[in-house]
Amino acid sequence: MSKQVPETIKKQKKRSFNSKEVKQEKNEKRMKLLKEIQEKAYKRAEKYEKEYLDQEQKLKELKQKALKEGSFYREPEPKLAFIIRIRGIVGVPPKPRKILQLLRLRRIYSGVFIRLNKSSLRMLHFIDPYVTWGYPDVETVRALIYKRGHARVNHQRKIIDSNEMIYDKLQKYDIVCMEDLVHEIYTVGKNFKHANSFLWAFKLKPPVGGFSTVKKSFVNKGEHGNREQYINTLVKKMI
Amino acid sequence: MTTQQLRPIVSVFPIKGKVKTIKQVPLPSVFSAPIRPDVVRFVHTNMAKNNRQAHAVSTTAGEQTSATSWGTGRAVARIPRVKGSGTGRSGQAAFGNMCRGGRMYAPKKVWRKWHRKINTNQKRYAVCSAIAATAVTPLVMSRGHRVNKLPELPLVVSDQLQSLTKTRQAVKFLKFIGAYRDVEKVIRTKKTRVGQGKYRNRRHVLRKGPMVVYARNLGIKKAFRNIPGVETASVYTLNLLKLAPGSQMGRFIIWTESAFKLLEDIYGSWEKPSKFKSGFYLPRPVMVNTDVERIIKSDQVQTVLRNRRPRSRKYGKKIQRADPYEDMSVMVKLNPYYKTKLQKQKELDEKNKKERKEIVDKSRKEYEDWLYFSEEEEEEEEEGSDEDREIEVLSDEN
Repeated sequence: MSKQVPETIKKQKKRSFNSKEVKQEKNEKRMKLLKEIQEKAYKRAEKYEKEYLDQEQKLKELKQKALKEGSFYREPEPKLAFIIRIRGIVGVPPKPRKILQLLRLRRIYSGVFIRLNKSSLRMLHFIDPYVTWGYPDVETVRALIYKRGHARVNHQRKIIDSNEMIYDKLQKYDIVCMEDLVHEIYTVGKNFKHANSFLWAFKLKPPVGGFSTVKKSFVNKGEHGNREQYINTLVKKMI
Repeated sequence: MTTQQLRPIVSVFPIKGKVKTIKQVPLPSVFSAPIRPDVVRFVHTNMAKNNRQAHAVSTTAGEQTSATSWGTGRAVARIPRVKGSGTGRSGQAAFGNMCRGGRMYAPKKVWRKWHRKINTNQKRYAVCSAIAATAVTPLVMSRGHRVNKLPELPLVVSDQLQSLTKTRQAVKFLKFIGAYRDVEKVIRTKKTRVGQGKYRNRRHVLRKGPMVVYARNLGIKKAFRNIPGVETASVYTLNLLKLAPGSQMGRFIIWTESAFKLLEDIYGSWEKPSKFKSGFYLPRPVMVNTDVERIIKSDQVQTVLRNRRPRSRKYGKKIQRADPYEDMSVMVKLNPYYKTKLQKQKELDEKNKKERKEIVDKSRKEYEDWLYFSEEEEEEEEEGSDEDREIEVLSDEN
C-alpha cells in the first residue's frame, strides 16, 4: 500500500484557509489588537475620571460663586434621561403603545437611555403614565452598562463580556471600551445614537421594596413620570 | 469536443494465428456520444411494442345468449339469467364480466394501439448511446457478458471475418479471440421458458451472446447463424433492440474493421454530419467533464471562492459572565483602570481622613489650650483671693 496522497487533497491542504499557520497568524494579530484595546481603555478611563471630577468641581465653584454674589446659578438642562417602563402591556392605547415601541420599551421594567430634546420630551409626555424617568448620574450609567449591559450583535442580545465586542462594533465611532461607552452615553456625545443603539434595552428587576402606586405620578406620591435625580435611587433598587 | 481531437486508437485483430495487433484504427466519434440510459429505456420500451401482433377476444364471446333479468321479488340477484328450461344452463347468470360464461370486462379489441411512434432523432440518440456503451467494459460486464479474456474492448477484427462460410470456422474464431466463453454461457443456460409461451412455440429461452457487426455479408451471416446466442447485424442497420436488449446497455459486439470504420460515416461527429442520416449530428452531452468533484477542487475554481465563513456562534453557547461588581477579574477585564482607580480612591480617602484628623486634632488642641489657659487665669485669680481670704481669716479670728 503506497502512501500516495491524492493530488486534490494536497492542493486543498495548501490552499486551506484554516491551516495551522494561518490560524496562528490570525491569533497573533488578535492578541496584539486586544492588548492595544486594553491599553487604550486604561488611558481613556483615566482621562474620563479626571473629566468627571473636574466637571463636578466646576459646578461647585459656579454655585459657590453665585451664592457669594447673591445671585443664582442655573445649571444646564439635563441632556440625558433614563426611562423605565413600569406598566405592563395590557390595555395600552395605540399612541402610547407606538411610542413605547419606538423607544424600545416593550416590556415592563425595561429601561433605555434617551437624549432629551424638544421632540423626545413630547414623546415622554405621551407615555408619562406608563414610565418613570429621570436624570442618571455617572455611577448609575456605569452600573447599568457594566452589570446589565447587553450588546446587540448579529440581531442577538449578547452580554458585553469584553472590550473586543465593543471595539468590533463601535471602533469607527472611536468607542473602544466600556468607559468610552459610558462616557458617550453620560455626556450625550456626537455618537450617542450609535452607542445607544449598540446597547440592547436594559432588562431590570422589580424594585426592592416595591412601588407605592404606579397609577399616580411621582409628584403626587406615586411613581410614574419625571422623578429627576431620584431615578438614581430607583435604579439602585432595580438593578 | 476535446475528446474528438484526440481520438484514441483501437487495435484490429486477425481471425486466426496469433492474438496480436495487425493494425490500428481511430475510435469513431460515436463512442464518445453521451450514454443516456433514460433515453435508451424510453426508446426501447416503445420500440419493443412495434413487433406485436394484434390480438383480441371474439366480439360475440359471452354474448351469445338471450338472457334477461328476472327483476326483483324472486330472492335472486338481478343479473340477466338464461331463459328456458330443461338444461343446467337455464336460469344461470349471463352477460356480466362476473358471471361464469359471461363476456369479459371491456373485451379486447383489435384496434388497440399496438405500435408506437418514436421521434427519429430520439431513436438515433438511443442507438448512439447504445453503441457508445458497447465500448465501456464495466457496462458490458454488468450486462452479463463474459469478456474477461478479450484482448480489447471494443473488439475489432479483420475484414476476413466477413468471408467466413462455415460454422466450424466461426466457432474456431470465437474461441481464438476469447469470445467463446460468452457463447458457452448461452449454451449452459438454455432453459425452458417459464410461462405459457412454452406451448406457444416459444419453448426455449436463451441468453444473448456476442453480436457480430459486419459491413458486407460475404458468408458471415450464415457462418454465425447456428451458433446459440450469437447474432449478426449489418452496420448500416443497427437495431436498438439488439444493441441494448431489455433496454440494458452494453451488448458485447465484435466489429469487423470496415464496419468499425463506417461508424464514423454513418453516425457522423459533432462537426461533420452523418453521410447516411441526413442532417444528423451526434448528440451533445449536457456536461463535457462530469467529474464534478475534480472541477470543484480545481485551482481555477478554488482560487475564486471566498473564504469559508467561521462557524457562527449563532446557536452556540450563551456567554456567561459574572457580575463585575462582585468579581474583580471581570471588572478589570472590562475596565483595566479600575484597580488604579480604587487605589487612588483609597489614597484619597486616607488623605482626607488624615486631613480631617489633623483638623479635628488641631481644633481639639486649641480647645484644650484655651481651657488650660483659662484655668491658669483662674488659678492666678484664685491665688489673689487666697490672700484676701487669709486676711479675712485673721479678721475672723479677731
